[in-house]
Amino acid sequence: MSAINEMTKREFVSLMLGLPATTFLSHIAGAQSADTLNIAFMADVQSWDPTAVTFPVGQSIFKCVYDSPLHYSSDQKLQPRQIASRKWLDDASTRLEINLRDDIFFHDGSKLTTEDVKYSWVERPQKDKRLAIAGLLQDLKDVEIQSPTKAVLVYSKPSPSAEFYLGFLTVYIIPKSYHQKVGDEGFLAKPIGAGPYKLVDYQRGSRIVLEAFDKYWGGAPAIKSVTFQALPEASTRVAAIESGRVDVAVQLPFREAIRLQSKPELTVDIFPQAEIYMLQIPSYVDTFQNKDVRTALHMAIDKAALAKAFFNNIARPLQVLATPGSTGDVPGYTFPFDRKRAAATLEKAGFGKGKPLQMTFCTTNGTFPNDYEIAQAIAAMWRQIGVDVKMEEITVAKYLELNHAAKLPGIMLYSWANATGDPENYSGRILNPALRFSAWKEPANADRIAKLFAMKLGEERLAEYRALNKDASENSWSIPLLQPAANMVTKKSVTIPSYSQGYVLPAEAKRKA
Amino acid sequence: MFKSLINVAARRFAGAIPTVLLLSMVVFFVLRALPADPLALLLPPNATEADVETVRKSLGLDRSIIVQYLIWLGDALGGNLGTSISFREPVTALLANTLPATLELSLVGLIFALIISIPGGLLLYGTRGTIIENILDVLVVCMLSIPAFLWAIFLMLGFGVMLGWLPFSGRVDSGIAIPSGTGFLLIDYILAFQWDHWRNAWSHLILPASALALGFSPLVIRVLRSSLLETSEDHYVMVARQRGLSERQIILAHMLRNSALPTITLIVAQFGFLFGGTLLVETIFSYPGIGNLMVQAVRNHDLPLIQGIALVFCVTTLLINTIVDVLYVVLNPKLRRA
Repeated sequence: MSAINEMTKREFVSLMLGLPATTFLSHIAGAQSADTLNIAFMADVQSWDPTAVTFPVGQSIFKCVYDSPLHYSSDQKLQPRQIASRKWLDDASTRLEINLRDDIFFHDGSKLTTEDVKYSWVERPQKDKRLAIAGLLQDLKDVEIQSPTKAVLVYSKPSPSAEFYLGFLTVYIIPKSYHQKVGDEGFLAKPIGAGPYKLVDYQRGSRIVLEAFDKYWGGAPAIKSVTFQALPEASTRVAAIESGRVDVAVQLPFREAIRLQSKPELTVDIFPQAEIYMLQIPSYVDTFQNKDVRTALHMAIDKAALAKAFFNNIARPLQVLATPGSTGDVPGYTFPFDRKRAAATLEKAGFGKGKPLQMTFCTTNGTFPNDYEIAQAIAAMWRQIGVDVKMEEITVAKYLELNHAAKLPGIMLYSWANATGDPENYSGRILNPALRFSAWKEPANADRIAKLFAMKLGEERLAEYRALNKDASENSWSIPLLQPAANMVTKKSVTIPSYSQGYVLPAEAKRKA
Repeated sequence: MFKSLINVAARRFAGAIPTVLLLSMVVFFVLRALPADPLALLLPPNATEADVETVRKSLGLDRSIIVQYLIWLGDALGGNLGTSISFREPVTALLANTLPATLELSLVGLIFALIISIPGGLLLYGTRGTIIENILDVLVVCMLSIPAFLWAIFLMLGFGVMLGWLPFSGRVDSGIAIPSGTGFLLIDYILAFQWDHWRNAWSHLILPASALALGFSPLVIRVLRSSLLETSEDHYVMVARQRGLSERQIILAHMLRNSALPTITLIVAQFGFLFGGTLLVETIFSYPGIGNLMVQAVRNHDLPLIQGIALVFCVTTLLINTIVDVLYVVLNPKLRRA
């Protein structure tokens, strides 16, 4: 009763009449506390088990809660993190010694040790093949514990590039004793990590509320409370930042990001992304076995026009399956855009305007910015040289299913994210016929890529990858299109570094006084 | 009267059981017949064939569809709708967390729709034969042609961005904790005497519920107007007019009650659409309800979750039908004797 008595007259009227007008004033935007940060994010986490899912978009949130063994800088350099140092113990690159920091604590106050590493990377994945980490660390057969902070990762075959994956998707460390105590379900309901923030509230499909962890090895973050609002609709993210209800909004439609540049209270950051847009070509569809067909299709695409039309020239046209300037890029190499030659090449293959090439072109719609529109533009370019394109809209889930089963009906527009920047994660996986990632399954590439996987890191390996990338483009096994650009819009009062990988890391954010 | 109500409710519940069973069967078999492999997203891309088989077996996907259905049905009767493939959580837990949010949104949307449509229908009837009726009619047609998701965007831009009056994402502001209780925040905050939080939850409901209501009310307005026109020719209305009652008294005391039945029939028939309309509205407003969950389930080919949500939609619609049948009995004395 006392609570009721404490109601003000206005509250009482609001409650009784339910008049929205009385609630307006308390919700007018703009009032943000100095140690809080609201982020309009494009997705929710799929699962709170970071080792269970390959989910590039969710890495920002996972890094907040779990941190990561190693860390990629925005220019894709591998940095120490939970693993302070590492070295190969043999020439064959099968034994990697790692040394953990000795000041890492989980959110329940227990210390992170090599026992947790072994449990997360070997014991659990061996028992549960559904965990995505089981695929990513497939060749890791053991973790030999030498002390609470020192261990040797033992690989079943030479794995010189193994360390690249210690800062990549799914390779996180979860607390062994806590997980064993509460089980899978308990862990998903109340996840615990060793990251700079702990999870304090979660509403699926709506918001994730994090609170700074004062025992984080890097020190408690300056921003004490962070909310990721899951806003999958891009227009809602635009509305959220424009109305001042959030401090940061990511991945807005390009035209909107450019429009917001004129707002004095906002900062718009547009930057190249560690990702490539490309066309996956299924080698098992007879039409595409003809090299002239593939070359004609490749040559007919005006990549510069795509970059201009959809990304205001901020996206960069690609010549090979690697981002410009990355170690797999081939400087000076250009695959020509020439519509006349494309038509002539297609004619050589027996097709043309009189006898159009019939083909299916699959695309997602809304999975990455402008995907469907880009596919339509490409289809229009192909129609100009005598291709009868049947567009088919599919989901990522469907694409994965078809591609894994080698049943793609036609070419697929796809976006390939690669936080590592290493060519193994581009052409090494896209073209490896032994993996279910590949659509073009060139038998000769099997040995070639297997050798590359086992080669020692260094210039010789990179030169081989560049040669592979050039061959892939020349033969149009897969067609590189664009390196897209990402964007992040923040209030002027907030600074937060942008990452080419798309990470949004509130632990690195600051509020201006 | 009470006995009649119990009879009606019992008959409707008994009739609903085979419907639910049939629907669960249809959904189950249709989903399994689709060329979609749930393991495609569940397993890492470099999983071996042996891994695929192991997981297929562990999920029971290697057994015949009939056996799979019977196992599912047995579990469902015990309250276990399986585990979501993409979220790795029990489907019942996911539904329990999201269903109250959607029901709350739909019900508030329905109330808003009634607040708009009853005066709207009366106004249209009251202005019949005048130019105002023509103007209002055009307005209603315009409203009818705008779907709920478009209203959602208009409202968000107008009241959320331009005026900045109302929040447009989630159920409450980020600093406010969600209480454990019924899952209906408007009830839970009252029970906890948290008036500020109640106002906050209420303000978050206004825009999505209005979007649903604006998409739903034009139909109700038109049906109510038609019913009133039809009723206006009835004998008892003529008698009332001859007795000197004012038009207002006749409408409110006599006609409205008799016009209510066709209007309620329409509302019931359309409530399923209103409930379904939450799918896009929840996505736009980032409202953590069952519609939002459905979008994610479909994107991920999460068959157990899609199946569970479909079942919930079915049961909810049947339940509402039953409630309205009971309401019919309350409103129409003739049905009590039947």
